[in-house]
Amino acid sequence: MSTMNASTPKQRRLIPLKQQEALAAYLFLTPFLIIFGIFVVRAVFAAVEMSFYDWQILRPARPFIGLGNYEELLNDSVWWTALGNTVKFTAMTVVGTTLLSLSAAIAVTQPIKGQSLFRVILYMPTLFSVGAVGLIWVWLLSTQYGVINYGLSLIGLPTINWLGDPNMVLASLSLTTIWWGFGFPMLIFIAGLQGIPEQLYEAARIDGAAGWQIFYKITLPLLRPTILFVTVTGVISHFQVYGQPFIMTNGGPGRSSYTVIFYLYQVAWTAFRMGYGASVAVALAIIMAVLTTIQFVFINRRVEY
Amino acid sequence: MATIKGNFFQHIWAYIFLAILSLAVIFPLLIAVSQSLSTNQAVNRWPPEIIPAEPTLENMQLVLTQQDLRLDIWLRNSLIAATGYTIAVLLVCSPAAYAFARLRFPGNRVLFAFLLVTIMIPSQVTLIPNYLLMRDLKWLDTFAALIVPGAANVFGVFLLRQFFQQIPQELEEAAVLDGAGFFGRFWHVVLPLSTNALTALGIFVFLGHYNDLFWPFIVTNSLETRTLPVGLAILNSSYAGQFRPMVLSGAVLSVVPILIVYVIFQRRIIRGVMLTGMAGR
Repeated sequence: MSTMNASTPKQRRLIPLKQQEALAAYLFLTPFLIIFGIFVVRAVFAAVEMSFYDWQILRPARPFIGLGNYEELLNDSVWWTALGNTVKFTAMTVVGTTLLSLSAAIAVTQPIKGQSLFRVILYMPTLFSVGAVGLIWVWLLSTQYGVINYGLSLIGLPTINWLGDPNMVLASLSLTTIWWGFGFPMLIFIAGLQGIPEQLYEAARIDGAAGWQIFYKITLPLLRPTILFVTVTGVISHFQVYGQPFIMTNGGPGRSSYTVIFYLYQVAWTAFRMGYGASVAVALAIIMAVLTTIQFVFINRRVEY
Repeated sequence: MATIKGNFFQHIWAYIFLAILSLAVIFPLLIAVSQSLSTNQAVNRWPPEIIPAEPTLENMQLVLTQQDLRLDIWLRNSLIAATGYTIAVLLVCSPAAYAFARLRFPGNRVLFAFLLVTIMIPSQVTLIPNYLLMRDLKWLDTFAALIVPGAANVFGVFLLRQFFQQIPQELEEAAVLDGAGFFGRFWHVVLPLSTNALTALGIFVFLGHYNDLFWPFIVTNSLETRTLPVGLAILNSSYAGQFRPMVLSGAVLSVVPILIVYVIFQRRIIRGVMLTGMAGR
């Protein structure tokens, strides 16, 4: 049938071609839209709705309390601790990751031997699960028996209580995370660097520009979209940090490595307060939307110049 | 043109930096392997033994043969769940991406823009409602809970749409002359030409799922469905203090399948990441 239709276009169709195409499109989209509708769209609305209820999983009564959960959140010192820790962790990790991955990308894109071997090695940790990475690093950072402290003692430095010192623990988790994840932005930076036309560098060299001038005047400005991408995706992913404190410190010592998602887990699956947990999740979404917007505005404004 | 020798000295700082960085990446893994081959007493000695004096495979065996903590079963579960999830994402996302890339229908642009906006919403917002839905559907502790909810992967649609748009329209027109309908064009023309993008997305999605912790942690609660990252977390919380070599054996063994995949597909993986990164930009 379809063969006839296609080879004799003048023949009348039961349904006009344009509508056939639209119908086909909707059929192609159906499986995706059903799953997306149920597990994303419905879930987001349900979370917002739940955040207005005192919804505890073990209690049948679920009274509507309006903004009650959000009021509680504003006065919840654990929430503020978790948020503060998350901001500090994210700032350290994004800055560290961006600097390290950009340096590595610049080094790897020099005309050197073994480029692909270095790329393969440096990207490798990114493929590991947070479980494996966390377990490996807990023992490296162990105060008593850890290899890192052993190294410090060998060169005559004082040992550090990496995961047991409340002022050190976020930096230690951040160090672990940078080791784990810098390979991804490194590859993105490599792609960005390869996209900069070689003639620009040649012209600059003919004009007698020094290495650092070339970096500031050519590489950095042309990499700005890449830096935007790396920092925005970095902030988004690191703000959702959960596995590292969960595996390595269980939020401790005290609450000094509680993060927002770690706290969300505690509220919803340890205290079974689903409504309050939903308000934590919604607050997180709002904060992340604001952060992302600020980053876009900030970096776009500087591109205009 | 500089000779290789000239280049070597010119770029010596690059070599030094990359060598140090590579060591920093590899060293923790070697220490983990070394300690997983040590005895419980040996790892609590100071100074630490970098190379185990009395190497033993006992801990590797332990983590594969216990009653409730069985790395081989976690691995099986992870492979089932991640494979199922990857197939589901490809089946669900590729037709949707084709519709967005090639078909004219009312609402195409609006719908696509809406999907892009939803990328901004962190997935944690959906955790609690989806967890409760799993409970109501009696899907807790089943593979369905690990596979279905994430199958509508917006990033996957975005990536495949970009790729499908680059396939020359003429190839499809030729198929139309041969009598292909919309499905035939998608299945016999576009998909076979997109194996690179499909593999890249597939590897990406597989690894992401294989390493995921939060969702599997809340929806599984028996040995029969627990995935590797969940198992490692439980292994750690049950045994961390006394049995460090066993816990590290778990971590090391869990990395082995990933490393095998990486060694085989390293080119594709690295190219795929760069491709997806560029598309995301």
